[in-house]
Amino acid sequence: MPTLTIDDQQVTVDQGTTILEAAKKLGIAIPHFCYHPRLTKVDACRMCLVEVKDAPKLVTSCSNAVRDNMVVFTGTPKVEEARKSILEFILINHPLDCPICDKAGECTLQDYYFRYSSQPSRFKDNKVEKHKVVDLGAKMVLDSERCVVCGRCVRFCREVVGEENLGIFNRGDHSEIGTYPGKKIEHNYQGNLVDVCPVGALTAKDFRFKCRSWLLCKADTICPGCSNGCNAVVHFTLRSFNGIKGQRVFRLTPRENNDVNKIWLCDVGRWGYSFVDSIDRLTTPALKKGEDFVKGDWDTALRETASGLKTVVERYGPSAVGVIPSPHLTNEDLYALKCLFSCVLKVANIDFKLPGLDKGEGDKLLLKADRHPNTRGAELLGLSGTGLSAEAMMEKVKTGEIRALYLAGSDPVKYIGEKAEEALSRAELLIFQGTNFSASCKLAHVILPGATFVEKEGTFTNYQGRLQKINKALEPLGEALADWEIFTRLGKRLGAYPSYRCAEEVFKDMAREVAPFNGLSYQKIGPQGIKIADSSQ
Amino acid sequence: MAVAFSEKTKERFKAILAKYPEKGAALLPAMWLAQKEFSVITPEVEEYVAKLLGVPLVRVHEVLTFYTMYAAKPLGKYHLQLCTNISCTLLGAEDILEHLKDKLQIGAGETTPDKKFTLSTVECLGYCGTAPVLQVNDDFHENLTTKKVDELLAKLK
Repeated sequence: MPTLTIDDQQVTVDQGTTILEAAKKLGIAIPHFCYHPRLTKVDACRMCLVEVKDAPKLVTSCSNAVRDNMVVFTGTPKVEEARKSILEFILINHPLDCPICDKAGECTLQDYYFRYSSQPSRFKDNKVEKHKVVDLGAKMVLDSERCVVCGRCVRFCREVVGEENLGIFNRGDHSEIGTYPGKKIEHNYQGNLVDVCPVGALTAKDFRFKCRSWLLCKADTICPGCSNGCNAVVHFTLRSFNGIKGQRVFRLTPRENNDVNKIWLCDVGRWGYSFVDSIDRLTTPALKKGEDFVKGDWDTALRETASGLKTVVERYGPSAVGVIPSPHLTNEDLYALKCLFSCVLKVANIDFKLPGLDKGEGDKLLLKADRHPNTRGAELLGLSGTGLSAEAMMEKVKTGEIRALYLAGSDPVKYIGEKAEEALSRAELLIFQGTNFSASCKLAHVILPGATFVEKEGTFTNYQGRLQKINKALEPLGEALADWEIFTRLGKRLGAYPSYRCAEEVFKDMAREVAPFNGLSYQKIGPQGIKIADSSQ
Repeated sequence: MAVAFSEKTKERFKAILAKYPEKGAALLPAMWLAQKEFSVITPEVEEYVAKLLGVPLVRVHEVLTFYTMYAAKPLGKYHLQLCTNISCTLLGAEDILEHLKDKLQIGAGETTPDKKFTLSTVECLGYCGTAPVLQVNDDFHENLTTKKVDELLAKLK
């Protein structure tokens, strides 16, 4: 393994490591545009030039492998001068429209300019005009004038997605990124093109002109879009002054995890967050009065729910109660649900497996057919197979054998259709706990508003059996509560139930009681998750 | 697909392919063959070449737009390429360009309505010693003066 010196610090790295990567290991950042850790190296942008002792010229650190006893300098006047010159060339035709550019604040060109150049432009001629607002695909827009032609987007399509649909047309200062005339990018990974773009050339339609990047707060999360469990970062703010009323979450970006999603995120997951702030969010508990719902408070709604369940159990026994939880809920939510129904009320009919849960359209890269983040977790917690199946429960609701049905985030009408609608409308007591209004919610007698994945702490178990943590970024909308908290409050009214104050307390109990979670804690899960079981069959 | 190489061109294409370790590497000569055959590289021709070589369509378009000698738009019967690089300009290429524009009533990069002439300005053709120079299709005309241009145009039918 070669040992080299970079800026007077010694480092030993694997054979074949590039200078740029070795420097990164020492915490020395070398500026670059075309280099991307997950794409082939093309040394096109010349931004990463460094000085190597005894080398006749500056070398590109992104593509040159280290050698034993190499001596590298990343901040000599020669290097600084080169960076300044490269930036001057790149900025000759750049429109300098940072004040209206969505990338401003997180743009490498902007950052490098202030760090390595900061000189006024000496260019006096007219800039080359290129295409603006090019509709490259359904999800993003190209501004060719901002482009530095690093080619990352072209390589992403070719190497990661395996579809060669972007190219660099014309040449020299007229070079432009584009699709073949008349064609558009249609793949499910367009958001990553915006991510890999080091400048403001590719911007997401979903994010354009909505919020300045520096107003956004960030929290680590897990994409709830499917069972793959891609690691993500949620960007949110309460003070976007662009006046998008009520929008708190603005985007999801990928977080690196080599075992799960590398450094990518699919469009379905990335832009699936809109339900968090959508107009159909359930924000207050509600009770059905005649045909309509009337807003209630938690006390009334929980009293109604508790007394309703109690009556049914006392009169007809626990087999007259059915529970259909959703694998959208966290392990903590599901464990709290299990404690309540299985331990306190002795209900056996708990099944999350609605037919067709895993019948979405998946792809080869990340997206899974099962569009639920915690199916494996629900399996490991034994929320299926203890009593009647979800489908059988619907039948029994229809015949009146099951009198009370508790839908925890699940929407049977969505999966079973009319048959479910008919059954649900016959239930004596239908409780819907969830985040958004749905066809099943419409038929409920009591509505209990739950928190979304960005409004609560908890864990998901992805299809591989990897336990990963989500974090609370925002307070639940309106009066909504985390689902485990709803079960805790309900539990108190129904019998001996632990008084959980936070999700971590639920997790501690779960770690003690449920085998795959034994000995685990939030600290042990860490930012990259931990494998606790095999993949589901 | 309407376009296809003639049998003779297909033979030449095969001979070209044999020179390269992989098909995609023959993109430039294949496009040149296509231009000779079809005189202009239309989207149909791009698609034909892409299929022949098994390369993505977008890569054919990259090459087409990168090189100036491939014609994406139909050219006139005579393609007049006037060098406007240093030597030619110093020896009067600008006057010749104005003269050509006047005579043909078109600008640089345009084709006459009768599709006879296309006028282009190009960079150095390597004939600095006999500048100014005009390339007409594959022939070079050196030491040009406006008078010589008139004589030349009269000959081109």
